[in-house]
Order: sequence, then C-alpha cells, then structure tokens
Amino acid sequence: MTRRHWIATTAAATALAQPAAPRVIDAHNHLRRGAPEADRQLIDAADKLGIHQLCCSTLPPERPMSHQGCVASNDWTYEGIRRFPGRVLGYCTLNPGYGKAALEEAKRCIEGRGFIGIKLYNDYRADEPVYYPIVELAIQLKVPILQHAGHTTWLPSAQPRISDGSHISRLADRYPEAMLICAHICGGGDWEWTIKSLRNARTVYLDTSGSVIDDGVLDMAVRELGADRLLFACDLSMTASVARIRSAALDDAQRAAILGGNMSRLLSRRTGA
Amino acid sequence: MIDLNAYLGPYAFRRLRDNTAAALLRRMDKAGIEQALVSSAAAITYRNAQAANEDLAAEIRPHAARLLGAAVLNPAYAGWREDLAVCQEKFGMRAVRLYPKWHAYKLTDPACIELVQQAAARGMLITIPLRVEDRRQQSWLVDIPDVPADEIAGLIRAVPKAKFALLNGAGYTGSILGKANNGLPANYAVDICLLRAELDNEIGALLDNLGPARVVFGTGMPFHYPEAAILKMDFLDRDEATKRRIRTENARALLNP
Repeated sequence: MTRRHWIATTAAATALAQPAAPRVIDAHNHLRRGAPEADRQLIDAADKLGIHQLCCSTLPPERPMSHQGCVASNDWTYEGIRRFPGRVLGYCTLNPGYGKAALEEAKRCIEGRGFIGIKLYNDYRADEPVYYPIVELAIQLKVPILQHAGHTTWLPSAQPRISDGSHISRLADRYPEAMLICAHICGGGDWEWTIKSLRNARTVYLDTSGSVIDDGVLDMAVRELGADRLLFACDLSMTASVARIRSAALDDAQRAAILGGNMSRLLSRRTGA
Repeated sequence: MIDLNAYLGPYAFRRLRDNTAAALLRRMDKAGIEQALVSSAAAITYRNAQAANEDLAAEIRPHAARLLGAAVLNPAYAGWREDLAVCQEKFGMRAVRLYPKWHAYKLTDPACIELVQQAAARGMLITIPLRVEDRRQQSWLVDIPDVPADEIAGLIRAVPKAKFALLNGAGYTGSILGKANNGLPANYAVDICLLRAELDNEIGALLDNLGPARVVFGTGMPFHYPEAAILKMDFLDRDEATKRRIRTENARALLNP
C-alpha cells in the first residue's frame, strides 16, 4: 500500500471535507527550517485531515529575530512552496526593526517569489510606529499580515513585547484598509479577553488555531465577531484545530466561510481572482 | 468509549457549558461515549471539597450506569478520612481526584500517601489532573503550576499497589513518566486529552514506551470539547485492537480492579 493510498483510506481523511465546502485553507502554520521530514509530516497530516492549502511561515530560532535569520527562514519557506506546489502558501517572516531591509525582504518574497502575506512575531508590539512602514507596504501589495498574539494576566518574560488584541485593534484604527489577522485564539492566553478586545475592530480577522481545546471558544467568537472574521488555522495543532470546527454549532455557510471562504477572499485581493 | 477525564458543576474562573448531568449525557451521546468518570469542577476551588462531592453525588445518582463519581479529596484538610469513606461507601464513587497545587500540598506529603493508600485499599483509582487550564490564561487571582513529574513519580513509587490515571498532561516523553524502562512501577496510565497523535505523535511514543495498556481515553469535557480526543483516536496510526484498548478496555480495567 502506498502512503497516498493509506492516507486516502483512513477514517479521518474526510474530517473536514463537506460537499458544499470551498477549499479548506489553514491560515496559520509553520515549516521547520532544516527539517524536511517535519514538513513532510505536516503535509501528511493535512492530507489526512482534508486540509487543501496551508499558509506557512518559518521562524528563525533566535529572539529577537535577526534579519539574516528571517531571510534564511523565508528561503526555507520558498523551498517549501516549491516542494509542495499548490499546497504550501508562504508568509514572509519579518522583524520590523530592520526598517528598509525588512521592507526589501518583503518585496523580494511577495513580488519576486509569490508569497501571500507577512508574518510578524513578538519583536515589537503591533501598535508601535516601527510597524507603520510594513503595514503601508502590505496595503500597497494587497497582502494580509498575520500577527502573533496572546493575552495573559501577567507578562511572560520570554515574550515581553507580545501583541494582544488591543494592540492589533489600535493598528487597525490607524490602517482600516489593512488586512490584519490576530493569531491563534487558542494559542494560550485569555481567549475571552481577546475576543472582546477585537469586538469593535471590525477589520481585524482572528485565526482559530492553537493547542488549547477549551469548549465554546469558536461559538463565542462567532457570536461576538461574526463568522466572516474567522479564519480556520492549525498552527501545528492539527487534530485539536480541526476538532474545534467540528465542535462548534455552525451552519453550513458559517463553516464554509471559516474553513476557507474568508481566507480566499483575503488572498484574492492581490491575485484579483 | 469510557472517558476518565470529565467534570460536572461550575468552575470558578470560566463559564462551562453542558456541566449538568443531563447536558453532559447529551454531549456524550453525540460523541459516542458510554461512560465517564466525573468529578466536581467546583471542588477545585472550594475550601471544603466534600460539599462539592455531595452535590456531585446527588447529580449523578440517577445516572449511575453512565456517570461514575470521582471524589475530590484534600489530604491537607480536616476530615478527609471520613470524607473518603462516605464517598466510597455511601456515594459509590470509584475514584479519587487530586489537585495538589490548587490545594497546596505535595503528593509526597505523608497525609497524601496515606490517602492514596486508603483509597487504593478500597479499590479506588487515583486520578491526577496535571493542570486545570493552560497557565497562560489563568485568572489574576491564581498562579498555579502544573503538577511536576518528579512529584508524581515520588507518589507512584511510594504506593506501588495503587493505580493511577494521569490527566491533562503533555510532554511526558521529556520526563521520567514517559520514558521506557524508567524504573517506576507500571501502575500508572496517561490520558490522551492534551497529547498529540500528529507530527511528534506523543500518543504513539507513549504506546511504544509504556505499552498499550497504559494509555487511556480522556476528553476533559466540559472544560474541553470531546471532539478533539475522538479525532485523535481516528487519526492515530495504530491498529484497531490498540485503539479499542485506549478507548475502552484500559479504563475498564483501571475502574474494575
């Protein structure tokens, strides 16, 4: 039995596939630099779970992220795009603190290599002025920005400049035309706080990824934000994130929007499709 | 399926859905879970946990075939010996659930070891949730760490005749608890609730390291949605006989010594 055949015959192969559903797009995932087998496992898991496309970034290991590290990581993402054509879509990872070099790197990846967006981590908070040129470029290039985020009741020393929903909301107030995605509602932190903090930031999207499997997150997000602002995502927690969709009380239209329709709409702004 | 990791009642820091017996049973029916070992979520933060055990006993009494009681006991609190006896003899509870970090004691404290010995002598399973919530989302009122592996290992060594189910844990393979040939008594199992079947596949690694009798099904509902555990079992790259053991048989053996 070939690997493909095995995948196709597993009980979970149609975990997400719905007759009326669009492409299932994972809006937040990662490749691992220098670990092609890990990337292969990610695609295998996506196959088994019925995920058609994965929007991936690669993060350098050092903190804060160096520009060289971002460039090398983006090169790895580009390799992934070529190794898994049509499956992996690339976010370019940037540290906004590198100013012009970061902007040039964004152009190299998006204009030159077909990346679909920008991934920003925790080097600065999303409402700091150092973000502004990056956001303005993203608006010009018509690509989304996926912003790492979390809100805890104390500052984790490992991430002193992590953004939360309020920082992203302030950035959205300044740039309402930007396509901003608040990352991993279930990635740790107070998800009720995050959802409420985004309630009035109507141009900000929220990705549904993360390892926390608390009941009711997605239902609250739909109620408070609307299904049109939610993007299905896994961030390496594949079964937990797919099951999160299964657990929620969604109608067919809401499910289709979250699983891929909303992300397709964001991606189409650049492609014009 | 038998779920060794379920709860009823209110939790102090977040609204829980489906936390009554009737609602949980509906959720179980939808998920295909026949039985669940349930404890009181309120007992986690009550000073006198026995009051919550009494409420739980009343709630599950009409559903005794499907909802099995687990008594939350605090060996640092007055009267636990009598509470243990009442929970087992009067309420018919099948297990004990321990929260050493929430209740401010160590698993290796003499009183805790005595509690576990007494519960084991009564044929009760000892369950230990390593966490209640992800620490990053805890209320500003509390800062409760996960139960450390070395403390659990100390208790396991101290009471080798007891049977343990470790719940809501992850990263076992990086600690003594998940290593093969670790020198610990083989008297503990781990639940799949927060483990992954994909990518690093810790469930598979634990099946290899500990053996197929020592991984059990647990959802964490209604804190957690049960669909996660169910999908992990579908996803897991093991034969149906192994999955059957995880879903049902291992838990049955632990609950029926």
